[in-house]
Amino acid sequence: MTLKKLDNHPLFKFLRDNPKATVGFILIFTIMLLTLGAPMFTRFEAGFRSDQYRVAPNSVFILGTTQLGRDVWAQTLYGGRTSLLVGILAGVIAVTLSTVIGITAGYFGGIVDGIITMVINIAMVIPQIPLLLIIAALMGGVSPMLIGVLIGFTSWAWGARVLRSQTMSIRNREFIYSAETLGETKLRRLFAEVMPNMLSMMSSAFVGTIIYAIMAQATLEYIGFGDPLSVTWGTMLYNAQNTAALQTGAWWELLGPCLGLIVLGSGLTLINFSIDELSNPKLKAQRIMAGYYKAKKAEITYTKAGETE
Amino acid sequence: MNYIFKRLGFYLIAFVAAVTINFFIPRLMPGDPVQMYMAKLYQTSGKIDAETIAAVEKLFGFSKTKPIIESYFEYVGSIFQGNWGFSFSQYPLTVIQALTRGLSWTVFLMGTSLIISFLINNLLGIVAAWRRGSKLDSFLTVGGQLMANIPAVVLALLISYTFARSEKFGIFPAGYAVTPLFRPANVLQYIGDVAYHAFLPVTCIVMLQLNGIMGMRANMINQLGEDFIAMGRAKGVPEYKLMISYGARNALLPVATTLAMQIGFMLGGSLIIEVVFNYPGLGKVMIGALDSRDYPLMQGILLMSTILMLSANFIADMMLLILDPRLRKQGR
Repeated sequence: MTLKKLDNHPLFKFLRDNPKATVGFILIFTIMLLTLGAPMFTRFEAGFRSDQYRVAPNSVFILGTTQLGRDVWAQTLYGGRTSLLVGILAGVIAVTLSTVIGITAGYFGGIVDGIITMVINIAMVIPQIPLLLIIAALMGGVSPMLIGVLIGFTSWAWGARVLRSQTMSIRNREFIYSAETLGETKLRRLFAEVMPNMLSMMSSAFVGTIIYAIMAQATLEYIGFGDPLSVTWGTMLYNAQNTAALQTGAWWELLGPCLGLIVLGSGLTLINFSIDELSNPKLKAQRIMAGYYKAKKAEITYTKAGETE
Repeated sequence: MNYIFKRLGFYLIAFVAAVTINFFIPRLMPGDPVQMYMAKLYQTSGKIDAETIAAVEKLFGFSKTKPIIESYFEYVGSIFQGNWGFSFSQYPLTVIQALTRGLSWTVFLMGTSLIISFLINNLLGIVAAWRRGSKLDSFLTVGGQLMANIPAVVLALLISYTFARSEKFGIFPAGYAVTPLFRPANVLQYIGDVAYHAFLPVTCIVMLQLNGIMGMRANMINQLGEDFIAMGRAKGVPEYKLMISYGARNALLPVATTLAMQIGFMLGGSLIIEVVFNYPGLGKVMIGALDSRDYPLMQGILLMSTILMLSANFIADMMLLILDPRLRKQGR
């Protein structure tokens, strides 16, 4: 009885209807659990050094040890915390910037829009990785959080562009005119009338930026820009590279951070898919129609795929 | 023509913006960059003479007597004259000379991957849209997106480990663009060797670009809903023709415009992939600059990669011009 009730709960219904979201949430939840609850899953600290150097995975060291005798499994778990945090930090900064910039450009139009669009277009053609490198190089050793801030401040352009065009299409709807007629202030119109209509796009941009930030952080640290003493997935790859893990066949040193990055990226991608599906009724209808055709196909066999609509 | 000039004007502005960033970033940093340079330089080379100090000051345009605006214009002027300063780590070489060594390989790598991924993405996107809702469709879109969101470092490391270094499958070279000390007997042999070395890096870049399937699919679906498709079908136009010359040709337009973003990601990714595969392109130059804290060279890389981006964008614009007759009419 209770099971049936639970089965009809909207959350479960949602998860059942969206297999992509379900898998995505499971992946992210696993990563969260493993990294945030790291002490529960490993008995070593992140900085722990054993007297066994570069041993293959065994029952004590689940993922083996590095050249310096550090436990790869423990480092992966603790390093994931930083990667997640940096991603979220960069995501918040970038989405805030792109929302403010995009909405302002789309709503005010005219010369304001012209200037902002120009800035957005320029920001999009200046390659980010070399730019980040120069900033990081001039600053000297860069802590993971600072990398997050830098990524946040350099990766808003795409989101701003998408949000700008969305604002422009919302701007001419009737409820905006009625708000204008009612005498609402500009700020209120922008943030209470326009912005709520773009939440799905903003959250999709947010998730997208997190993915990008985690990738960019790993990249920067891999080529040696991070603080080599901090434990993150990027610095783990950097250390593995520097101690010639690849050449000596110590694959387990790469396995932890690589798997972590892949699982995190995949989970967030799947969630982004379902955000898109939720916000875009066209995609949703398409999926329902696909189910309908499938059911129908069981009865009649079609000759050509192109004739199914 | 009007359109081309408009785009060229934009590229000029974008390039000046990159130069401006290069000029101001060292000034925005805490402390005196000239002093910082000196300290770093002293650490690496161990000797500094008056000439070096003057050169560094000139490089940044730092001068106590001149106002900042004047030194800014001087800096921009010298960049446009092709005077990008000297590389610290490869001293007798200028920055431009040091860059051109890697540039051709990066252009080769990116150009090849751009063409291959453009073909693959759009073909698969067309197929996915045509069979939308099918298993093939969700496999292509979800799979492509997942593949594209693997960090370039991770994908390159895994592929390089498996196919270049491991004993079982390591059939590809683990570095270089051509076999060192290799004397090709003829051109074909040389091309074969280059292709053999470029295979894994190009595969990596193409795999990371697979999210393009999504974009093409969405455009294609929009086009398939248009009346002229229904009209064509009613007229009895064969399905493949409907798919390629009715739907796909129109669906390609938005793809060409979003190419800018695509190329940006591609450049960042390919620099890293070069590093992992020890490929002698700009990415390798970048790592060299990084290890020796060669700031002028790093700034040169930013400028050079901006130029790469702009040229790639220009090609995309030209493609748009070919695909969209409306743009051509505008100019007349």
